[in-house]
Amino acid sequence: MFMAILVGAVAQAVFPTFYWLGQVNAPVLLGLVIYYALAHSRGTMLQAAIFAGLLQDALCMIPLGYSSFCFCIVAVVVSNFKDMVFVHESFTHMMFGAIAGGAVTLALYGLLSATGLVSLAPGWVFLKGVGSVLLGAILVPFEFEFIEGLDRMLGNTDERTS
Amino acid sequence: MIGLFRDEMRDRSIVLWVVLGAVLLAVLNLPASVSSQAKAALREGVAPLQGALSGFTRWVGESIRSVRGIGGLVRENQQMSAELVRLRNEVRDLQSLAQDNAALREQLQFSAQSGRRLTPCEVIARDITGWWQTIRLSKGVSDGVSMDMAVMTSDGLVGKTVDVSARTSDVLLISDAGCKVSARVVRTGAFGVVSGNGPARSGQASCRMDFINKNVPVLPGDEVVTSGLGGVFPKGLLIGYVDKVHKDESGLFQRADIIPKADLGRLTYVFVVAEQSYGADDYLMKTRSSEGGAP
Repeated sequence: MFMAILVGAVAQAVFPTFYWLGQVNAPVLLGLVIYYALAHSRGTMLQAAIFAGLLQDALCMIPLGYSSFCFCIVAVVVSNFKDMVFVHESFTHMMFGAIAGGAVTLALYGLLSATGLVSLAPGWVFLKGVGSVLLGAILVPFEFEFIEGLDRMLGNTDERTS
Repeated sequence: MIGLFRDEMRDRSIVLWVVLGAVLLAVLNLPASVSSQAKAALREGVAPLQGALSGFTRWVGESIRSVRGIGGLVRENQQMSAELVRLRNEVRDLQSLAQDNAALREQLQFSAQSGRRLTPCEVIARDITGWWQTIRLSKGVSDGVSMDMAVMTSDGLVGKTVDVSARTSDVLLISDAGCKVSARVVRTGAFGVVSGNGPARSGQASCRMDFINKNVPVLPGDEVVTSGLGGVFPKGLLIGYVDKVHKDESGLFQRADIIPKADLGRLTYVFVVAEQSYGADDYLMKTRSSEGGAP
């Protein structure tokens, strides 16, 4: 898990960004958090959310803990829904990716603007929100498939909860 | 039996929320020094991986470009030859100017301009969230890099260091709205403050220069350099060229759109200016002390 998050953090910096998507980076770490929330135990999920958040904050100018806070909320909400949805359906991953992507971007903007670290025009915030929703919907299903395949190959499926 | 199971699940859920809240509260309330140390440690741990990945992506990009560029080598060679001739002439002109400059300085009893120590650094990553326009460099405190140092390429100014660990440093680019640079228009000597406009539709980074005296004529194509005021950026570093000039909303100043000379979208190697040059602040201090004023 830690290795996957480490590689995910580095990969997140490499993906290209687009003006019309608000220059949002691909939400690789968020996708991993959603995967661990849906497919693993709550302990692993929380470890993943906290570590992914700390790593994201460490690799940019966000104060330590902001991303962890947002990721933990996402993880807990997603895990509460996992008994009500088809965990292995791509549509589920797409929906969670889209909603969580938009929500985390807006929540982070709220936290950053409240502390005066970022000040953006409303139009630009809207673009960022739309970009996060689209990128989350596109990327998370692929990421889920990839990590699930990797976990299966490495035999990391014993923690899975039904 | 089912009720017992539900109670147990509810208890677990409460414990989970309490643990979660406690951990987050602890992280969010860490003292600034501890927080920055933790961030630096995490960055240090990831830096080798980032360096390896950026090296690999650069190698792939260069390989593709070299394969594509085979057909244009003859034309490129001709262009380089012409450029070489032009640059040789320029160097000859500059040598005579340097001699004139040294002679004038001596006459004016100015101290000789101190050299700038440039530390070459490799760009290993960009901002991973898209909230800021930053890059990460492969060198840090152990290489003589510290906070608030100017960063440039051979073309011009790139930004300033904002967060430095032992072996990495983060640079806030001049295209970010949070990066303010005291600047001067070379032709007229008009002062102003350059800040970033954020990302542009065209992909080309752009900046703006505010607070220019409205009575000084500024024209498109004018060269803009750092003024040396403020203490972060050394004097005379090329920032870019004026693109358009506008009247300020207040009517008291004018504002200019600036196109940075350095290609901020394709940075691979940059230089950290490790030593500041003889700047305007030093000049003012020297003048005051010679006049008997407070330093």
